[in-house]
Amino acid sequence: MGRIVLDKLGKRFGVVEALRDLNLEIADAELIALLGPSGCGKTTTLLMLAGIYKPTSGQILFDGVAVNDLPPQDRHIGMVFQSYALYPHMTVFDNIAFPLRLLRRPVDEIQRRVLEAAALVQIEALMDRRPSQLSGGQQQRTALARALVKQPTLLLLDEPLSNLDAKLRVLMRAEIKHLQRRLGITTILVTHDQVEAMTMADRIAVLRDGLLQQVGTPDDLYYRPANTFVAGFIGSPPMNFIPAQVETTDGQVAFAAEGMRLPAAEWTAPHLARRRGGPVLVGVRPEDIRLSLVPGESAVQGRILDVEPLGRELVVAVTVGRQVVVAIAEHGFAGKPDQPVGMFVPPERIYVFDPTTESAIV
Amino acid sequence: MLLLFLGPFVLLTVLFFVMPAIITAFLALTNLDAAFQGTYVGLDNFRGLFADPLLPRVLLNTVVYVFFTLICFNTGLGLVLALLTTHIPDRVGTVFRAIWLLPRLTPMVVYGLLWLWFVDPTKYGMLNTARSWFGLAPLDLISASPWLVIVLVNGFIGASLGMVILTSAIKSVPEDYVRAARVDGASSLAIVRHVILPLIRWPLTFVLVNQTLALLTSYEYILLVTGGGPFYDTTVYALYVFRRAIQNGDYGYGAALAFILVVVGAVAALSYWRLLNFERMISAPKIEAD
Amino acid sequence: MEQVTIPAGQLRRWRTPQEVAALAQRARRREVLTQTMIYVLLTLISLPIVVPYLWLVAAAFSERVSYGIIPSGFTLNNWRFLWVANLGFVSGTAGRLPNIWQVVANSLVLAVGTAAIVVVVSTLAGYFISRHGFSRRAGFLKGALALQAFPGITLLVALFILLRSLNLLNSMLGVILVIAALHLPFALFVMKGFFDGIPWDIEMSALIDGASRLRAWYTVLLPQARNGIAAVAMFSFLWGWTDYIYVLTFVLRRSSWTMALYLNSVIGEYRFADYGLMAAVGVFYMIPSLLFFLFTQRQLLQITLGGTKA
Ligand SMILES: Nc1ncnc2c1ncn2[C@@H]1O[C@H](COP(=O)(O)OP(=O)(O)O)[C@@H](O)[C@H]1O
Ligand SMILES: [Mg+2]
Repeated sequence: MGRIVLDKLGKRFGVVEALRDLNLEIADAELIALLGPSGCGKTTTLLMLAGIYKPTSGQILFDGVAVNDLPPQDRHIGMVFQSYALYPHMTVFDNIAFPLRLLRRPVDEIQRRVLEAAALVQIEALMDRRPSQLSGGQQQRTALARALVKQPTLLLLDEPLSNLDAKLRVLMRAEIKHLQRRLGITTILVTHDQVEAMTMADRIAVLRDGLLQQVGTPDDLYYRPANTFVAGFIGSPPMNFIPAQVETTDGQVAFAAEGMRLPAAEWTAPHLARRRGGPVLVGVRPEDIRLSLVPGESAVQGRILDVEPLGRELVVAVTVGRQVVVAIAEHGFAGKPDQPVGMFVPPERIYVFDPTTESAIV
Repeated sequence: MLLLFLGPFVLLTVLFFVMPAIITAFLALTNLDAAFQGTYVGLDNFRGLFADPLLPRVLLNTVVYVFFTLICFNTGLGLVLALLTTHIPDRVGTVFRAIWLLPRLTPMVVYGLLWLWFVDPTKYGMLNTARSWFGLAPLDLISASPWLVIVLVNGFIGASLGMVILTSAIKSVPEDYVRAARVDGASSLAIVRHVILPLIRWPLTFVLVNQTLALLTSYEYILLVTGGGPFYDTTVYALYVFRRAIQNGDYGYGAALAFILVVVGAVAALSYWRLLNFERMISAPKIEAD
Repeated sequence: MEQVTIPAGQLRRWRTPQEVAALAQRARRREVLTQTMIYVLLTLISLPIVVPYLWLVAAAFSERVSYGIIPSGFTLNNWRFLWVANLGFVSGTAGRLPNIWQVVANSLVLAVGTAAIVVVVSTLAGYFISRHGFSRRAGFLKGALALQAFPGITLLVALFILLRSLNLLNSMLGVILVIAALHLPFALFVMKGFFDGIPWDIEMSALIDGASRLRAWYTVLLPQARNGIAAVAMFSFLWGWTDYIYVLTFVLRRSSWTMALYLNSVIGEYRFADYGLMAAVGVFYMIPSLLFFLFTQRQLLQITLGGTKA
C-alpha cells in the first residue's frame, strides 16, 4: 500500500510562501507528475514528503496516517535528487549499499540486494566505478538503484531527466515509466518539462507560484485546461490567446477580434449567452489551425510573418491585424513570408477563458 | 607594465626573503658572534649540532609540543569546533567561532599577560586561587608540567585557523548530499562520518600540513609566557634558534639551526604545490591583450 | 508481465498512528538532546577563553583583584599611565618608561606603514598575477607560494645582519619593511583570490568599450576588489600593531618603543604587584583589535586562503 494524501499543505520560508494549501490525493502504484515552472514549489513539496522540510501548515498522510513529524529515515522513501547526490567518495556499489548498511543488514543480504537493484537499471558492470567516472545516464541509473534498493513504498524523483541530453532523455523516460509499472511503487515525478509529464504520468498536478492550478490526466489537461496558465503550459508551441468580444447574430454566437470572426460551437452558446458583448480570451492551439493559400476560401485572412521548418511539420507565424497567431502546417505547405494566407479554426477546438480571472468558461 | 605591477613585490621579497635566506646559508658556515666577529668554519656548526647537549631535550620538547598541539587543538579541536558550530543555527555558530578567533587577534603580549596571570606561581595567580578553594597549595605549573603549558598556550590560538577553513569546507558540502543521506536513513553522526568527513579530507590534510609547519616555527607565545624556562624545559626548536642566535648572540650557530628549518620549509612548500591545487591556481588568463 | 525482483511496497506497511507518534517523539527528543549537548559542549570549551577576557576588562577598572581573580571597587586609577608621566612604583625604573603617547604614535606609524606597503604592493602584484599572462607566471606563483613556507624565525638572524648593514636597525622603517615583506606572499594570494573572483566579462566589456587594460584596472577592477583591499588593509594594520618579535629584535632605543614593548616592560615591572595597571594597559593596547573584531567578525570568518578546496 502506498496511498498519499496532501491536505492543505503549505510551506513558508520567512516571507516567501513556497507552497499554499495544496490538496492532492495520490493512489497506490500511481505515477503522478508535479509540473510547473522553476521556483513554483515542486522541490519544496518533495522535500516535505521526504521529511527534510517540515510543513508550516496542513498535513501529509501516508495510508491515512499523518506523518508530518516522522523523521526521514522512518518513511520508507526512495528519492532521486536533481543533482543525483551520488557520494563522490564511494563506488557505485557503496553508493547503492549505503542505505542498507545504515540499516545494518547482513553482508550477504546487502550484496544480493545491491546486485538486484543494479540489475533492474542495468549497471551491474559498473559497480567498482566512482560517480565521476560515469556518464550522466549511468549516474542517473545509479541514483535510481540507490533509491530502489530500500524497497521504498514511495519513490520521489526530482527532475530526474533534466541533466540528460535530449536523446537519452527519451530513452530514460520510457525506462523509468516501465520500471515504475513493473514495481508498482507509488511515484511522484517532479518536472518543469510538460512533455515529460504528459508522456510519463498517470496524472499531472500543475503548480504555479506555490498554488495548485489543476490536477488531471494528460488528456484532461490538454483538452480541458482549467485556466490560461495550464492551457499555455501544456502543448508546444503554446496555445494562442486572442482577446475577443462575444457577438450574437441570428442566434449564432461568434467571437469577434481584430481582423477575424470565429464562430463558436453550438453547444457553447448557453454558456456564452450571459457574456454577450463582453470581452473573453479565445484560446486556439497551433495544431488545430488549418492554413490555406487559396484566396477567399476561409473567413480569417492574415499575412505570413515567418515560417520555421521543423522537418515533419512547419511552424507558421501569421499576423492578423496587430495580433500574431502561431499555427502548425503540414510538410509541403508552400507559404512564404509576406504572402496572404487564410486560416480555418474548427469551432469545437476553440477554448474560451475569462480575461480577468483567467479561468476557463466552457 | 610588468615592472610597475610586480616590481615592488619582487624588490621587497628579494630583499627581505631571498637575500636573508642566502645570508643564512652563508652565516651557517661562520662562527659569527655577538661582537660580530667571525671567520669561515666550514661545516663545524652542523657537526656541532650532534655535540650540542641541549639539542636532544629541545627536539623532544618540539616533538611533544607539535604532536599534541596539532592533534588535540589545531586539527582536532578545530574540526570539532567547525562541526559543532555548523550544526546549530548559524548566528549562534558565528558567535562561538568569533570567540575562538579572539586570541588570534589579540596582541600577543596581551595574550601572554593573560597566561602569566593564569600560571602565576604565587597564590595570586588564577590557577592557584582556584586551587586554594579546594585547599590545595599553590603550584608552579610551568615547572610542574612544562609540556602542558606550551601545548595549551599555542592550542588556544591555533584551533581557530583549522576551524575557519574547515567551517567553510563543511558549508560548501552540497546540501543534496546531506539530504540524500537523511532520506537513506543516516543519523547526524552517520552523516558526519560517512559524508562530511570524506568530503572535507583535502582541506583537512591542508590544515594538518600547514599547521605542522606553523607549529614547528612558532615560538613567540612560549617566549612570552615561559621564556623557554625553567632552564630549557619549555624551549622548542624555533625558540632555541631565537635564544641561541638573538639572545646569546651565537649568530653562526643560530643560522645553522635556522637552516635546518629552511630545509623543512622547502619540503612543506613542495607539498603545498600539491595540496593547493596548483594547476587550477595558475589557469591562464582569458584576456591576452596587454 | 515478467517476474519482478524487488517487490517494493508490498513487503512493508507504513506506520500506524501510534508508531508515528512514538517515532516522531523519539526523533524530537534526540534532536533536542543533540542541540543541548552541542550548546553545553561549546560553552564549556569556550569558557577558558571568555572568562580571562572578561576578567581582563573587569580588572582594568577595579581597585583590587581579590584572590587574584575577583575584581572589586570601581576605579580609573589603573589608567593613570595615560596621564602620569612617572608611574613611580616598586623598583623606580618604571619612571623611565617612555611617554605612552609617544609609544602610541610609534605603534601607529608601524601599523599604518605596514598596511600602506602591504596594500599597495599586494594589490598591484595580485592584480597582475591574476589577470596577465607572462612567460614566467607559473614559476613566479610557485616561488611566491614557496616563500610562505619560509617563516620569520628562519630569517630572523639574517634579517638582523641585513638591517644592521643597511643601517636600518633601531629605525621604524626597517621594522615596517621586514613585517610588510614577510606578510606579502600571503597578502598576494588573498588579493589574487579577490581578482580571480571578478568575472572576466566585466573586464572584456570595458576593453571593448575602449578602455586600456590599465584604465580597466582602476576604473572597473579596483572598485570590484575593494572588499579584498579592505581585508588586507585591516589584517596588515593588525600585523604591525600587534607585532612583538620584530620590534623586540630590531628596536633597541626606548624612544622607538611600540605598545608591545611598553606592555612587556610594564609586565616586567609590575608582575605580582599591580594586575590592575597591567590589565588597563592590556585593554588599551587591545582597542584596535577589539574594534576590528566587533565590526568585521562576519567577513573575517569568510576570508579563507584561496584555493584550499582541492
Ligand atoms: N530553504 C529555502 N529557504 C528559503 N527559500 C526557499 C528555500 N527552498 C526554496 N525556497 C523558495 O521557495 C520557492 C520554491 O522553491 P522550489 O521548491 O525549489 O522550486 P522548484 O523546485 O519548483 O523550482 C522559491 O521561491 C525558492 O526561492
Ligand atoms: Mg527544484
